[in-house]
Amino acid sequence: MPRAIVLHRGDNVATLIDTGQSGETCTLQGESAGEVVLLQAVPFGHKVCVRATPAGGDILKYGQVIGRAARALAVGEHAHVHNVESARGRGDLAEGRP
Amino acid sequence: MTRTFLGYPRANGAVGVRNHVAVISVMDNCNPVTRAICQAVDMTLPVTTLFVRGQYGHDLEVAFNTLAGMGRNPNIAAVLLVGLEEQTTEEVARRIRPAGKPVESINLQPHGTINAVAEGTRRALKLALAASAARRAPCPVSSLLVGVECGGSDTTSGLTCNPTIGAMADRLVGDGGSVIISETSEFLGAEHLFAARAADQAVGKAFVEAVTRLEREAVSRGMDIRGTNPTQDNIRGGLTTIEEKALGAMAKAGTTPLRSVLAYGEAPAGKGLHFMDAPAPAVENLTAMAAAGCQLIFFGTGVGNPIGNMVAPTVKVCGNVNTLRTMADNIDFDASAILEKGSKAGSVGERLYDFAIEVASGTRTTSELLDVRETAISRFAPTI
Repeated sequence: MPRAIVLHRGDNVATLIDTGQSGETCTLQGESAGEVVLLQAVPFGHKVCVRATPAGGDILKYGQVIGRAARALAVGEHAHVHNVESARGRGDLAEGRP
Repeated sequence: MTRTFLGYPRANGAVGVRNHVAVISVMDNCNPVTRAICQAVDMTLPVTTLFVRGQYGHDLEVAFNTLAGMGRNPNIAAVLLVGLEEQTTEEVARRIRPAGKPVESINLQPHGTINAVAEGTRRALKLALAASAARRAPCPVSSLLVGVECGGSDTTSGLTCNPTIGAMADRLVGDGGSVIISETSEFLGAEHLFAARAADQAVGKAFVEAVTRLEREAVSRGMDIRGTNPTQDNIRGGLTTIEEKALGAMAKAGTTPLRSVLAYGEAPAGKGLHFMDAPAPAVENLTAMAAAGCQLIFFGTGVGNPIGNMVAPTVKVCGNVNTLRTMADNIDFDASAILEKGSKAGSVGERLYDFAIEVASGTRTTSELLDVRETAISRFAPTI
């Protein structure tokens, strides 16, 4: 069973420290416990959403904001550059930065 | 009891962890002669550079100071400068002399390549013979200035190698030593946490200004730094945003107060933890650390970045089990016990501190033995 680490109680993502296949149950460890069923394959070192997050919501890791949800994220979903975006160093958003 | 390592005490009170003769190019057109001399004489270290010719103002000052800083580094017993002409060579030489070590120079004009290589080789031989008389002696760890870097990062970096390096940094600072963390762009998203550790308000303000200046620059140019930082290999390794990378990168600095903010290649005036405002890419960042006087560098990596510094031995620390297998020849210290055996970063960092003392005493690193080392001085303005 693939393992994923939650670094802070308030985090909505966990980091896999094994490779996870779609449909596999992932064990949470660290600052949280429990299991999450992976909705997609999640590579080693990538993150899985452990708490449903609306579009635009903060993504929290280490108890800190690491970006925002580009669209709604479901529990078990692979959270990465396709659905999470940085809020820093964004010259492309310089006009009317949100 | 004061912890010690076996180092090379220098005339100015500094301590080297290596004992090389640096052959330093004053500008790019001298590099072939520098390399030829180093091929001929053992104990020499080629410190080559690109540009310098045609640089001016602040940009040229940075180049001269960085070249000279590497010459002043306590790992260097003596310096042979290889220049094109006397005046520019003297600009670098006069910045090294205060360190109290032999500084000689050879210029290509009017000698030509063959004579410059011949005369440079003779001088390098004399310098190396004299330097070889130095012996290691017990020296306090408080004489160590250590750079902490990361490159080829992934999500294991913030969980394993970087906190391990941070625990080692805390131990070193606790024993009276000094640490430099740098890579300004890799504080975007973590700067509020690091600024809170500033020893006083002025230091905190200077640090936040450095990060803000960099972000403002990116935004004013309409740049989206995504894809550049985090890099494509960072992203493959699971790092999604610069904020996530920064929070993991900051772990290298341990937990001690931030004492000062340094310019590119600037040596810290006091002990403890310092921040250097410098570009993040490893080669130019490590070059700045060596110029600041770091005798050793600890380099955390996740997906793997082999490069080391020429002057400051670079210890590669990795906690990614896959990289430890596929890039074993580029890793010096295994921090994977944190994820694989549930070890605490504090105890793995304790082992890294022991290893630091071994490397400072002469144990070689993979980047030294494989000679995967490079020098690059950052450019801040165009050449004319």
